[in-house]
Amino acid sequence: MSSESGKKRKPKVIRSDGAPAEGKRNRSDTEQEGKYYSEEAEVDLRDPGRDYELYKYTCQELQRLMAEIQDLKSRGGKDVAIEIEERRIQSCVHFMTLKKLNRLAHIRLKKGRDQTHEAKQKVDAYHLQLQNLLYEVMHLQKEITKCLEFKSKHEEIDLVSLEEFYKEAPPDISKAEVTMGDPHQQTLARLDWELEQRKRLAEKYRECLSNKEKILKEIEVKKEYLSSLQPRLNSIMQASLPVQEYLFMPFDQAHKQYETARHLPPPLYVLFVQATAYGQACDKTLSVAIEGSVDEAKALFKPPEDSQDDESDSDAEEEQTTKRRRPTLGVQLDDKRKEMLKRHPLSVMLDLKCKDDSVLHLTFYYLMNLNIMTVKAKVTTATELITPISAGDLLSPDSVLSCLYPGDHGKKTPNPANQYQFDKVGILTLSDYVLELGHPYLWVQKLGGLHFPKEQPQQTVIADHSLSASHMETTMKLLKTRVQSRLALHKQFASLEHGIVPVTSDCQYLFPAKVVSHLVKWVTIAHEDYMELHFTKDIVDAGLAGDTNLYYMALIERGTAKLQAAVVLNPGYSSIPPIFQLCLNWKGEKTNSNDDNIRAMEGEVNVCYKELCGPWPSHQLLTNQLQRLCVLLDVYLETESHDDSVEGPKEFPQEKMCLRLFRGPSRMKPFKYNHPQGFFSHR
Amino acid sequence: MERAVPLVVPLGQTEVFQALQRLHMTIFSQSVSPCGKFLAAGNNYGQIAIFSLSAALSSEAKEESKKPVVTFQAHDGPVYSMVSTDRHLLSAGDGEVKAWLWAEMLKKGCKELWRRQPPYRTSLEVPEINALLLVPKENSLILAGGDCQLHTMDLETGTFTRVLRGHTDYIHCLALRERSPEVLSGGEDGAVRLWDLRTAKEVQTIEVYKHEECSRPHNGRWIGCLATDSDWMVCGGGPALTLWHLRSSTPTTVFPIRAPQKHVTFYQDLILSAGQGRCVNQWQLSGELKAQVPGSSPGLLSLSLNQQPAAPECKVLTAAGNSCRVDVFTNLGYRAFSLSF
Repeated sequence: MSSESGKKRKPKVIRSDGAPAEGKRNRSDTEQEGKYYSEEAEVDLRDPGRDYELYKYTCQELQRLMAEIQDLKSRGGKDVAIEIEERRIQSCVHFMTLKKLNRLAHIRLKKGRDQTHEAKQKVDAYHLQLQNLLYEVMHLQKEITKCLEFKSKHEEIDLVSLEEFYKEAPPDISKAEVTMGDPHQQTLARLDWELEQRKRLAEKYRECLSNKEKILKEIEVKKEYLSSLQPRLNSIMQASLPVQEYLFMPFDQAHKQYETARHLPPPLYVLFVQATAYGQACDKTLSVAIEGSVDEAKALFKPPEDSQDDESDSDAEEEQTTKRRRPTLGVQLDDKRKEMLKRHPLSVMLDLKCKDDSVLHLTFYYLMNLNIMTVKAKVTTATELITPISAGDLLSPDSVLSCLYPGDHGKKTPNPANQYQFDKVGILTLSDYVLELGHPYLWVQKLGGLHFPKEQPQQTVIADHSLSASHMETTMKLLKTRVQSRLALHKQFASLEHGIVPVTSDCQYLFPAKVVSHLVKWVTIAHEDYMELHFTKDIVDAGLAGDTNLYYMALIERGTAKLQAAVVLNPGYSSIPPIFQLCLNWKGEKTNSNDDNIRAMEGEVNVCYKELCGPWPSHQLLTNQLQRLCVLLDVYLETESHDDSVEGPKEFPQEKMCLRLFRGPSRMKPFKYNHPQGFFSHR
Repeated sequence: MERAVPLVVPLGQTEVFQALQRLHMTIFSQSVSPCGKFLAAGNNYGQIAIFSLSAALSSEAKEESKKPVVTFQAHDGPVYSMVSTDRHLLSAGDGEVKAWLWAEMLKKGCKELWRRQPPYRTSLEVPEINALLLVPKENSLILAGGDCQLHTMDLETGTFTRVLRGHTDYIHCLALRERSPEVLSGGEDGAVRLWDLRTAKEVQTIEVYKHEECSRPHNGRWIGCLATDSDWMVCGGGPALTLWHLRSSTPTTVFPIRAPQKHVTFYQDLILSAGQGRCVNQWQLSGELKAQVPGSSPGLLSLSLNQQPAAPECKVLTAAGNSCRVDVFTNLGYRAFSLSF
């Protein structure tokens, strides 16, 4: 309260104080409502240090006075109160000094703050200016660099080189005198020239475009003309068909065949082309045809990757559906097997006509997934054949073409890659399916141009025309020989079963006129039975009795002597001779192991067979061998030396003319027949 | 015992023919080279094959060592008999005797050195020569065979010096009695005749079939094989194999074997014989069978002992007969291996 009143009273008090404050007092009078204290001017004049001293002195005085007051109060007395009052007044004065000093201090502080503030503001302003300037500098620098980097579009244009420009440009554009010195003008001139040139070229371009349009229109017109020609040509072809037939030139038929042939898979196509070529060039008895459904073939014609995907998709689908339907695993596997062994819908038919009007029908199939070809064979004869019992296998479709080339039995697939495919679907061997699929002989693959080399298995085997062509002639000839020899055997077997050895007249010279031993029995025996016979061990051990051969047993008799002959007929008859093994039952059992003469007889028919071949194509070999066996038995029995100790005449009197009965260390009988003298001698 | 089924090899025409030829081959004669390292064998097709005994007997012998080093066509007919001199191989069969140089034969395409044909009586059929015998003292060769005569040929000049007649049927075998010198011949007529070479006359005849102990009429009377040890002779064939004392012409031992024997020879203190039947029989002089060693052929026709001093490592017995194989016995007890045509 007192301070407030002091403050209120202050302006008055202060006004009454200090002369230097007069000037400012005027001002303060005019601004009475302002917060202007006269001490503000005073502050500048007084020394802060002195004020501080004053403050300290004043505090000391106050302390002293208080202490005196204290003393006086404690002393008590009457004049104390005046002294106390005096001192109190002095303290009050001191209090007022203190207040002034306080005010001064505050004002000083305020001033100092104001000055700092001002200075700070100034500095801030400069700072801002500096920043602005820097920013502007940066901006300008950027602009400068931009300007420096500026590429005028005109630099992108590929102008012709200077020399060319001066050469080509007309003088009114090039203006050499001006442009030489001034690069700016030069560039301008060059740009001018460029513009000129471009305008000219644009003109040309437009002209060419219009030309092109015209020509295209012409082409259209001509195309239409040609397409209208096609139906007319077709009608002409149709009209000419009767003429073709009349002249025996079936071009149309051949054309149709070629059309169908386009849908054949490559190996069948190779076979078709080569067989047709061979038939036309060398062999008129060969005819070629294509069978099967062309539409199905067309449906199959997809790129390999797609069809593979389709297969896998359909497989997946199939698996799904089968999961839903839950069929047996066997059925699923069966379907996969059927898929693997699928045949191409088209097949090639070859018909080979032989001299006696019998025909060999060969149908060639292509197994798509296995990439091999198979063949089915059938023999038809001009007249109906009565098949004798023993001839059952001769012409059967299964075995008639077996071993056309040595060892080519057609029971195994020739493509080594197929084995892995078979393992996936559980097929053990193709031989289980050959009856319905046909035989995959090696020569069939060669005719289709497919070659499966054993040493380096190839990724994909492609059909090769030259391979087919090189094998065509030999194979056709072999096929014909095979059919003819089988048919000949067929006829001979019919006769043999009746006990007659059919010797043709041109082979009669090989045998003497009178042959007493006769053929009693001729039957087929099974391969296992042949192996079990005790007198055939040598042949079996020599590897000559395989399961592709046909086996027969013949029985020749004379009197009490019975000669059994086991015959191995190789499918390659008659180039490979039949092999005979003998067992004679007469006064004991004699075979080649205990009787040298029986061995010699076997040698006569087995080793010396070439004499018995007869005229080419040596279909008489088997019958001549059988007849010779009869003759040999005669000789053997008649030349047997008579045992003097046994009574009775010889069972077989000697009727054959022999120079000598025995010769050589092994005492051989004379088995060789000499024509025309008609006597027997030794080899 | 189960018989293993052999692998069937795809055979073309030539392979089948060769297999059949081999099945029906008979090896009639053998002869060892003077150096002792090679063996020649002659077969019924007229071929002679030379085998290398040293290669087949060596420790690195492979299958190819058991095949002939060279095979060539020597005669048109079978080669019934062969003998070796110190440089030549003499072979005979279809009526001719041919000589070959051992040193040349190992090269392919060798030609015979010379060939001679004895003067035969008949011209209708050329008789075979079944036996050849070398007489070293005279340097001559004796041939005998189909014309029932013995011919002597001087090896140096090649002329035929004498003809010994007496047999009534063809001659199978010859043997030389060193001491005298005499030649023994056995023939189809069942007689063993002794001939003196100096007088060219028959000095002794033994008709084997007439003796009860050894005759076997069901086999015939033919004498297939002869061997002599100067005082003793062993012969066999149709009659039983018998040991004879020559001076007294009496049979001392009859060997109990039923099969007719085709070849017999003295070896050390044994008699080796072979004939119909697989085995090589070893007999003691007393008539006991010491051993019967089976071979690989169903019947044997010739035995050959390689006793050439130059090759003691090749001292083997070889046997051949009714097959294309020659069995080699390194030790008389068993068959070591077989050479094959």
